[in-house]
Amino acid sequence: MKRRKFLKAAGAGVATSGLAGILATHRAPVFAQANTVHILRWNDFVPAADKVLREVFAPEVAKALGIKLNVETVNANDLPARATAAIQSGSGPDIIMLLNNLPHLYSSASVDVSSLAEEVGKAQGGIYDPSQKLNKVGGKWVSMPWSIVPALISYRESWFKEVGAKEFPKTWKEYHEIGKKLKAAKRPIGQTLGNTFGDAPTFTYPLLWSYGGQEVDAKGKVTINSKETIESLAFMQQFWKDAHDEGGLAWDDSNNNRAFLSGDISATLNGASIYVAALNGADKFKTEKGAPLHTDIRHAPLPTGPKGQHAYHTAFNHMVMKYSKNAKGAIEFLRWAHKKENYDKWFVVQKGFATGPTSVWEDHPMWKQDAVMLPFKSAPTMQTRLMGYAGQPDKRAAEAWNKYIVTVMYANVAGGKMKPEESAKWAASELGRIYR
Amino acid sequence: MKRLLENEKVLATALLAPGVTILVVFIAYPFLMALWFSLTSISVGDPGEFVGLDNFQRALEDTIFQTAFKNTVFYTFWATIFKLALGMWLALLLNRHFRFKRVVRASMLLPFIVPTVLSAWAWRWMFDPTFSVMNWSLFHLGLIEDRLPFLSSGDWAMWCAVVVNTWRGMPFFAITLLAGLQTISTELQEAAALDGANAWHRFWHVTWPLLLPVTLVVVVFSIIQTFSDFQLIYVLTGGGPANSTHLIATYAYQVGVNSGLLGEGAALSLFMFPVLFAVVWVQLRYLKRMDVR
Amino acid sequence: MLIERKWKKWVFFYVPMAFFIVFTLFPFYWMAVTAFRPDSELYHTWRQPNATPFWTLDPTLEHLHGLLRTTAFPNWLWNTMLIAIVSTVISLICGMFAGYALARLKFRGSEFLGTGIFITYLVPQTLLFIPLADIVRGMQLGNTPWALILTYPTFLIPFCTWLLMGYFKTIPKELEECARIDGATRFGAMVRIIFPVAVPGILSAGIFAFTLSWNEFIYALIFMSSAELKTVPVGVISELVRGDIFFWGQLMMGALLGSIPVAIVYSFFVEYYVTGLTGSVKG
Repeated sequence: MKRRKFLKAAGAGVATSGLAGILATHRAPVFAQANTVHILRWNDFVPAADKVLREVFAPEVAKALGIKLNVETVNANDLPARATAAIQSGSGPDIIMLLNNLPHLYSSASVDVSSLAEEVGKAQGGIYDPSQKLNKVGGKWVSMPWSIVPALISYRESWFKEVGAKEFPKTWKEYHEIGKKLKAAKRPIGQTLGNTFGDAPTFTYPLLWSYGGQEVDAKGKVTINSKETIESLAFMQQFWKDAHDEGGLAWDDSNNNRAFLSGDISATLNGASIYVAALNGADKFKTEKGAPLHTDIRHAPLPTGPKGQHAYHTAFNHMVMKYSKNAKGAIEFLRWAHKKENYDKWFVVQKGFATGPTSVWEDHPMWKQDAVMLPFKSAPTMQTRLMGYAGQPDKRAAEAWNKYIVTVMYANVAGGKMKPEESAKWAASELGRIYR
Repeated sequence: MKRLLENEKVLATALLAPGVTILVVFIAYPFLMALWFSLTSISVGDPGEFVGLDNFQRALEDTIFQTAFKNTVFYTFWATIFKLALGMWLALLLNRHFRFKRVVRASMLLPFIVPTVLSAWAWRWMFDPTFSVMNWSLFHLGLIEDRLPFLSSGDWAMWCAVVVNTWRGMPFFAITLLAGLQTISTELQEAAALDGANAWHRFWHVTWPLLLPVTLVVVVFSIIQTFSDFQLIYVLTGGGPANSTHLIATYAYQVGVNSGLLGEGAALSLFMFPVLFAVVWVQLRYLKRMDVR
Repeated sequence: MLIERKWKKWVFFYVPMAFFIVFTLFPFYWMAVTAFRPDSELYHTWRQPNATPFWTLDPTLEHLHGLLRTTAFPNWLWNTMLIAIVSTVISLICGMFAGYALARLKFRGSEFLGTGIFITYLVPQTLLFIPLADIVRGMQLGNTPWALILTYPTFLIPFCTWLLMGYFKTIPKELEECARIDGATRFGAMVRIIFPVAVPGILSAGIFAFTLSWNEFIYALIFMSSAELKTVPVGVISELVRGDIFFWGQLMMGALLGSIPVAIVYSFFVEYYVTGLTGSVKG
């Protein structure tokens, strides 16, 4: 009796691969006939946008081009793992969404989309310069920019007015003064300095640049340990203690949203998702006076430092994978999706959280609907620098970005772990190992 | 067929075949591939070139790795001690007869049952800088003025991780030790009591030695799991704040997957090996000694 | 019978027991409260005086509905159960056979193999998943439950083998020798005599293997891409942890619902396991 079980188990080993093989081949013919495109994206911070992809784009592109669109979304943090496994094993989604300068990292696994990019750029007033640099390697387009999520400071207008700021502070020094008063009134500024991809580097990199600091020079020599960097670190150290919610060291990209929506902080750097959430939950999120929270929210760019005003906005790009068996279909889908009448449907549901990759979307009538969202309209044009400045946003810059070196440099001083000089030195040695 | 299987060698081969096949195909081969990765400069989509022990050298000089290694040892050491002590204590308590014994025994296993990623999110919410229920309670009880920096300070965060790991693993210790306790006949305990030994004495001189084999198995297993732990820190802190709570596994993941440096990531992962190997080797030696006895 | 004084009972039993119960179960209580708490009550900070973190004033089933209707949660539950059960069965069978062979049979290379099996247990999944992705694709198992059913045994078999090997070693050899004198084959003796005696050990290995399968994350993340094929940990995390705003209520509800079936199964086996162990030794 048991012998049969044993033999069954041994036989099962053969049967499984056989069975799987049968199942696989059984499926293959069915899908080979349809023109399938499997796209892997992040769980959009605006859930309605994913719905548009699944419920509007999918049926419409099936009708228009006969393409069967398979939309898969995962947590943004898990995208690199999926991409790595797919590239290494040579099979997976046809299109993978890649943030920031990841295209540089995976460029060898990409299909050239230069014709698509140039077509869209020409038709829509030109692709923003940062997106160009992020998606082009060696003069060729390795991926197609899809959208940009600008990061601006969301702040409580009434609270700022109460401490004497009629409009949002223009310089870091002013912001520091106002922040001190706000924190004294138990309404600190909230900023994440944790290992998180969205709100941390979009703060620390521009801060560094606005003081004149940089990771490397144009030749790739590490120059982060400089007078300017140390100045910005010293500033941050004081600024953090005087004006910030010190729990921010443990925050990820969602903590500041929650803290702001529950009235615990007065300002934070974020995408438009806080305002959008307040709009959508007007009955849930109220000010201490009982009014809907969204009536008190305004947006402003980061303040100016001694050496200028800078910004970093998260770029979202689509890469068509070399291993894909339907690269042609994938590019056709993207071409279709970028057409004004189609992209428009995705764009409006974002309500300004994400802007298009080209300047034509700045003229969209949607921007006229809500003055509070206006600062997001042209935010991408304010970005002039990318990671790896003053060098290129290449693989090494991507490594530094993913190791959170610049963010950790600031977190070290904010948490009191290191003095500014020590932290700058630490960052230099870490970058040195990458840029050797 | 029957006669063939009487032969020890043939039977052994037949019995080991299914397990060994799966392990060879799905571990040995990929492991050798990963070993090869660690000796090259492979990155995603780019096979790189052979670099010998370069990746290992770089790892040793990496300050973040040094922190991760220290953290892993710290985390494993303390979590194991707490799990053992608390697990043993709980096992002794559960060994008695009381009402609701069955329900309590079963419910004690819950932390172990719920998937780590999910319970880690719940703990993360409980430690949250803005919304922590613990801070709320302590504040409203008047015990603290300002909130406790559970996850925002590197040291605090490591201890929080130890607490969560202990919470998760203690039930396993407790239930297995409980089963071991039940095999120790009560006559031995009573004899010792009659001889004048008090509860502590009875435990230390009668119970503990008899439980040693089971304890060793559980401890070794737990050390292996904890040392190579990934999910808990990944969810609880992501390695922050400021890269101060990384474990070897989470840092290797950050380097290998998020930065695409597969060769370096593989090398980092392999540093776990010597330690785990030493632990297993000690256990094997002990098992062998038991055999001879 | 050891008689105790009442106060001793309180200090040495009731108080510690209460501490353990609170420590172990409070997070679940917390998860349950959050699962039934409406979103409007969710964001009460630590300073808020009139918040009620320990209970909800307005319990709601909206998260339950949301979870069951807008996500593929029932599919995830089914998938995880199926994968866990099948991989546990496969691993137990392989582990029982291998454990017996290593514990009882003499053959060349047994020590080497035994050590080899333990070594594979030490290889972390975060190292293996990339080469494994290649193999899984090569066998065309990607995005099917088989990808997990065949890869989970890689960390289950070594553990089962190891645990059962130690267990078999404690069973007296005389049992088999008697059976063989009575005419049973080696295989028959193993199956009909040794395995029944080893049931508590087999059960504990099975329980443990089941839990490990249920808990696995990274292979499930990498090998399964369709929403309906995901397992509970991966599904809950990838669908409900959305960037800026998490769906805490649904997340906690998912965590609870994901654990209850396993807990029920456990509650039966735990008692059997514990008393079975006593029985086998006494007998």
